[in-house]
Amino acid sequence: MAQCVQSVQELIQDSFVPKVAVLCSEDAQKITRKNNLNFSELLRPFCRLTSEGHMRDSNNQVQVVKNLRISVNNVVTRPSVPTSGVHSPAQRRLLSEVVSASQPAEGGVANVITAGDYDLNISDRSVKASVPWYSDWRDTLTELSTSKHYTATTPWFEAYRESFLQSMPASDHEFLNHYLACLLVVSSSEAVPVEQFLKLSQEQHMIQHNGEYTNPKWFIPNTLKYYVLLHDMSQGDEQRADSVYEDMKQRYGSQGCYLLKINSRTAAAGTDEQIPDPWSQYLNKTRTAPGPPQESLVRNDTRNSLPDDARPIVRRPTDLPVAAGYDRVSAGPALQLAAGTSHGACLTLNDHNRLRLFIQEFTFRGLLPHIEKNIRQLNDQLVSRKGLSRSLFSVTKKLFGGGKVPEKSIAELKNTSGLLYHPEAPELQIRKMADLCFLVQHYELAYSCYHTAKKDFLSDQAMLYAAGALEMAAVSAFLQGGAQRPYPAHYMDTAIQTYRDVCKNKVLAERCALFSAEVLKSQAKYSDAATLLIKMTSEDSDLCSALLLEQAAHCFINMRNPMVRKFAFHMILAGHRFSKAGQKRHALRCYCQAMQVYKGKGWSLAEDHINFTIGRQSFTLRQPENAVLAFRHILTNDSQQTATQQGAFLREYLYVYRNVPGVCEVALPQLPLPCINSSATRVYFGHERRLAEGEKQAATHVSLDQEFDQDLAAVWQDLEEQVVAAANRGVVPSTFYPTQCCLNSQTDNLHFPLAVVEEPIIVEVAFRNPLKVPLVLSDLSLLWKFTLKDFSRPQPQDVMVGDAVTITNEKEAIAPRVRKGKGGIPSVCKFLTFSLLSWQARLKLLPRQTGQLTILGLVYNLASTPSTGDSTINSPSVRGRQDLEIQGPRLNQTKEEKTSVSHGPDRRLDPTITPPMPLLEVFFLQFPTALLCGEIRKAYVEFCNVSHVPLCGLRVASTHPDFFTFGSSSLATPLTPLSPTSFENCSAYKTLATPPGATPGSVTAVTLVSAADFGSGGGGVFGTGGKRVAEIPLGEGTLTPGESTQLPLWLRGPDQEGVHEINFLFYYEGAEKGGKISHRVLRHTVFICASRSLSVRATACRSNTLPEEEGRNGSMLVFVDVENINTSEAGVREFHIAQVSSSSKQWRLHKCINPAENKDCKLTTRERGKLCFRATRCKPHEATSKSLEKYTFADLSLGNEQIISSTTPCADFFFRRCQSSESWRPLIAVETQGRHSRSQGAGPGGGAEDITGVVRKCNEVDLDIIVLWKAFVVEDNKQVILEGQLHVALQTIGKEACSLRQKEEAQEMVLLKFKPELPPPMTRPSMEQLSHLIKTNLHYPESYSHSFVQKSLCMIPVILTLSNCSLAQVDAIIDLRHKTTSPESLEVHGSFTWLGKTQYKLQLRAQEVMRLPLRAGFLHAGVYNLGTPRVFAKLADQGAMCETSQQTATPALIIINST
Amino acid sequence: MHQVRLQIKGSDEARYSYSIDVQISAVLQYWSKPKNYPLFIRSVPVQNELKFHYTVHTSLDVVEEKISAVGKAMADQRELYLGLLYPTEDYKVYGYVTNSKVKFVIVVDSSNTSLRDNEIRSMFRKLHNSFTDVMCNPFYNPGDTIQSKAFDSIVSAMMVQAS
Repeated sequence: MAQCVQSVQELIQDSFVPKVAVLCSEDAQKITRKNNLNFSELLRPFCRLTSEGHMRDSNNQVQVVKNLRISVNNVVTRPSVPTSGVHSPAQRRLLSEVVSASQPAEGGVANVITAGDYDLNISDRSVKASVPWYSDWRDTLTELSTSKHYTATTPWFEAYRESFLQSMPASDHEFLNHYLACLLVVSSSEAVPVEQFLKLSQEQHMIQHNGEYTNPKWFIPNTLKYYVLLHDMSQGDEQRADSVYEDMKQRYGSQGCYLLKINSRTAAAGTDEQIPDPWSQYLNKTRTAPGPPQESLVRNDTRNSLPDDARPIVRRPTDLPVAAGYDRVSAGPALQLAAGTSHGACLTLNDHNRLRLFIQEFTFRGLLPHIEKNIRQLNDQLVSRKGLSRSLFSVTKKLFGGGKVPEKSIAELKNTSGLLYHPEAPELQIRKMADLCFLVQHYELAYSCYHTAKKDFLSDQAMLYAAGALEMAAVSAFLQGGAQRPYPAHYMDTAIQTYRDVCKNKVLAERCALFSAEVLKSQAKYSDAATLLIKMTSEDSDLCSALLLEQAAHCFINMRNPMVRKFAFHMILAGHRFSKAGQKRHALRCYCQAMQVYKGKGWSLAEDHINFTIGRQSFTLRQPENAVLAFRHILTNDSQQTATQQGAFLREYLYVYRNVPGVCEVALPQLPLPCINSSATRVYFGHERRLAEGEKQAATHVSLDQEFDQDLAAVWQDLEEQVVAAANRGVVPSTFYPTQCCLNSQTDNLHFPLAVVEEPIIVEVAFRNPLKVPLVLSDLSLLWKFTLKDFSRPQPQDVMVGDAVTITNEKEAIAPRVRKGKGGIPSVCKFLTFSLLSWQARLKLLPRQTGQLTILGLVYNLASTPSTGDSTINSPSVRGRQDLEIQGPRLNQTKEEKTSVSHGPDRRLDPTITPPMPLLEVFFLQFPTALLCGEIRKAYVEFCNVSHVPLCGLRVASTHPDFFTFGSSSLATPLTPLSPTSFENCSAYKTLATPPGATPGSVTAVTLVSAADFGSGGGGVFGTGGKRVAEIPLGEGTLTPGESTQLPLWLRGPDQEGVHEINFLFYYEGAEKGGKISHRVLRHTVFICASRSLSVRATACRSNTLPEEEGRNGSMLVFVDVENINTSEAGVREFHIAQVSSSSKQWRLHKCINPAENKDCKLTTRERGKLCFRATRCKPHEATSKSLEKYTFADLSLGNEQIISSTTPCADFFFRRCQSSESWRPLIAVETQGRHSRSQGAGPGGGAEDITGVVRKCNEVDLDIIVLWKAFVVEDNKQVILEGQLHVALQTIGKEACSLRQKEEAQEMVLLKFKPELPPPMTRPSMEQLSHLIKTNLHYPESYSHSFVQKSLCMIPVILTLSNCSLAQVDAIIDLRHKTTSPESLEVHGSFTWLGKTQYKLQLRAQEVMRLPLRAGFLHAGVYNLGTPRVFAKLADQGAMCETSQQTATPALIIINST
Repeated sequence: MHQVRLQIKGSDEARYSYSIDVQISAVLQYWSKPKNYPLFIRSVPVQNELKFHYTVHTSLDVVEEKISAVGKAMADQRELYLGLLYPTEDYKVYGYVTNSKVKFVIVVDSSNTSLRDNEIRSMFRKLHNSFTDVMCNPFYNPGDTIQSKAFDSIVSAMMVQAS
């Protein structure tokens, strides 16, 4: 609850004080006017008595009167104003001014009340002064300054209450504010002062008893007249005054008159003397109020105009009219003021003392005895009537209808405010006595009198009187203090109810409620007080309701369990009423205080409402900054308001904004709308790309339209690293930093990005409109700051000159930064952002000089759409800015960073502008989107340098290096048709017509090619850094500015079907080194759809023919299965196998064994064909050490032209395929070798290693088959021949190899291995492998005729040829003993026997062939299987541990005929 | 958490309005420091929503008073239903507090005589059950505003039923 400075007791006491009237003669008036005061004003500061007075009550008990205050007023006669029970308009206006003049002191001590989890700053300066009594202002002030108990004060409420109480009209039912005495003041300079006194006395009598004036009401018929002779020390004759006074004393008695000497100070003397001005705080209070001066002026005006209906007494026209309410004796803490009009200029301190003494004398000698006398009289009257019992009295009254009591029906009583007693009625006498007792602080007696009076009035149904008595009874019971009598709260309630409902007297009810609330509060019954106050609010007076609601709100917060929300709600109600009453400042304050409760608690509707009101009120109070702030809150929150409401908010905001004076001149204001998602800002360096230009297709590079993909970015970075490594001889420089063309929230923004001069910087800003109404943005541009730096200067000068340049240019750059500077082109655009939509704007900057750029924010005009469709009327728009502040990623490295929330820098918007760099543009011509697997296609690529700087060091890296080749320059260039238009009928391959005489399938052309030609030599394809990097063969190695070059590009469809994403990264650098940017890159992504073509499977078999026959030391059969697996029957008609080529270091295809009748093998859909070739080892001289690295290409053409496979592009793709497949093949080899070597040292079975190696070596074939095919494809009713090549790598004899990679392999890669694989337990070669060590052959006649009749035994020579396939010495054991595993066959076919030596042990050197003559003996004619010899082979140097294996002999049948 | 059900004076077609406003005072760390922000508010019809928000917010004071009046020892056996919090001129405000100090408030038109204490009590029970379901949802982050469709439909059903 708002605390008053006064205690409740004081408040009540000061509200009811003895009133004294003043009648002044004209001359006396003149004397006081010298001090700028009239007489009553002159006395006012001294009206509180500091000393105690004594009086005796009717029982002769001495009663102490402490701290008495009297009220001295000029007599103002008013025509009888009907006591209507409501305030007159003039009174209302006065009250309203009092309230608006009293405002909380600004900048006071913040006073925070903690209630629950709320910390409320309720009022600024507040003091709880609950001292029951205080005798001096000084005490109070010290109390104020030392008090620690701060709570809220509401000085405006106190001011209101004070004014309200003072403006109470004197009413008939109570006497408390009736005049008790009258001071008659006459100047000593008067000719005959005594006559003057007589005149005044008569006048007083006339006013009181004439009946003409009803308004100044008099307490008792014989009012105390006190004669004051006023003497002006500066003018008058002091002795004369004394003599007059002596005369007066004789006439009126020494107790009834007084000589008051004032104005002892002359104007000349003692100006330097500081005289306190006690009047100011009573008279000039308005001046001290913080309200604007206009208000106090207005107030002064009304003060003058107020007494329209309060006419001063005729004789005193010069008297300054003072409104009855303008008595501020019981004001709050003294406020020292700046001197206005000075009062009491002619008074010395002595005069002050005289005045004080005068009041004291008057009160103690005049007034109190007078009151005492009257109490006695009244008491005597009452006692004399005591004989009659009250009931009897009332009965008689009823019976005889005593003339004093007007007869009224009960209904009438209810209707009117009650009956009216004659002023001298006995019922009123007791009330009078009560009032008198009350005034002199004799509360005990007062209470009993009131109590008695109450009973009387109630029995008379005089409700107004009864209510008054009840009210005062309650008050005096309260003031008695102590525990004698509990405070009768119900008296008050009844009184209020009676006043309000029966008497219809709002004013009295309000007064009563005010007292009651104060009393309840002092007893900590806050809840009751609040209820009472809320009940008192009504529709009649907004101001009163507002004040009461506010007090009620304060009650809620002062409860033992503070009810914060009720407080807030009632504050809002109060604020509403304040604003209705025109008290804008108070309304604003109320809303602001309530806001503290609602803020940030999720009560968005309430919050919006409060903010909106605050905004409005602030605006009308000319606090546009606050208004703007409040409106910002409404607009930035995710509002749940309807669209129309939001539109209204927005318009209001814009309107307020535009009216903020001078806001645009100083600095552009920050706008709250639309929301900018700073972290979603993207920055793009470089030109916007043209995607296609005619049939040219530009490199995709990076654009703002692409979504950022983390994986993809990693791929690009990896590629860039490789290409940089390749460009720097295999080492990635430490300064390497991946190029980022488009920066967003996910990229690494720790470094200052580098931008190139004359190349645009595009900033994409993401807007979001949180409202449901559209916003119009226009004139959008970027705000930036630029520091000039010259990077091209030589190093030593750079530091000094650069610094100097920085300073001067920065000033230039900063100054025009709002407008368009010379360095940039802000793009200007007008946009409409639609409701609740996210939306991006791209703004372009073109740096023209090198230096450091910082993009600060955005400037734009914000407007709302006109509510009507009329677009010609421009809705108000405001220009403002929003800063782009991007927070970097949260740091999470060190412990400090983990425990606290800190963010790293984000330098997205701070690009460094570097000197010009070359800029490459790449275009692709005839670039296909779909290919058959393995298809070869030729396309062209154009490189174009669009900058002003030469470009060099062009390289390309790709994720699929086997997809494309630029060819080896030395060979390709002359063969390439320069015009790409001749593509249609031209094969991508280099062909030769087959010589006419040759049989197809046997023509073999053998070429030796070094891998280096396609590897690191010549045009230089593969750098050392990585296999995926290729140098692009430019003419002179550089591209001059503006130059463009076209190069052929061969493409080969990927082996796997499906859609392939292929990334190219073009790398280039400037001609001069050492720039800030070492290189630049250009990205290109293509999507190739590969469809199935052919599947080629090949197997190699050892031929059983003897090496001698061919004169070579090895031959092999190669079976090639070709299957058409293309599924699109409509598109591809058939495949022709045009040629099969081989490429190997050791083998070559020799001839085609089954030359079919149809020359080339045609395959339509789902057809399959088999081709058989013989492969031979290359001639020994070919396989010399020198040519070991050389590959032998052998072409077997099945058609009528031979494709030279050893040239571009066939060989290119062959080698590229090797690289890609080798990338996984050697890996396994290395791994197994490593494992072997490890186990060799540790295990005892180390001897097995050699066997494995030898055995594998023996079975190894390193032969690659290249199948070249042609496909006849129907495309747009045209037949197109497509060409392609497929590769099969044969590695082991007997193992099938496929052109498609095996699925199992892929799966193997996927398998997760948690444990290191166990070393293979069987390191020994299998039986089967060992069996391949030795090749056996039986030579014998196929059939043999023998006459068994003549000779029973037929002897046939058989030659067993043993051939060692391995490169090691092999021991062989040949066991001829006839031990057939199947005895049945023996029985059926009979048997034969080997004759002679049946078991041989031989040793075969590497690749040695040995013939072993054997003899077989037959007994019968028949068919015999000679394949019984079992050959065991083991490596020669292995010990007994080596197991030998059996050569599985094929059946060798011999027919023996009997002749 | 509050549920508010309101009847608007003078609107014939949509006679009832509820607003359910939920404020959680508490899960785990927030136990001792109730924040009292709304989890769910619903009122029918919407034109006077602001007033209901104010009413509901103000009623929190009474709820707190009632809880604290019970006393700490008795807190466990406390009746969850708080009964009529206070009558305003046009509405009656009922309250309910779960053991985890989540508050439900229902505001009803005071002229609506069909809703007696028992009906209100059962409405609260229903609400509480449905709120428990919401809290059981593992994807619900305690303290967020409730956006559950199931909860919403139950509230709507109650409003329709009561009108």
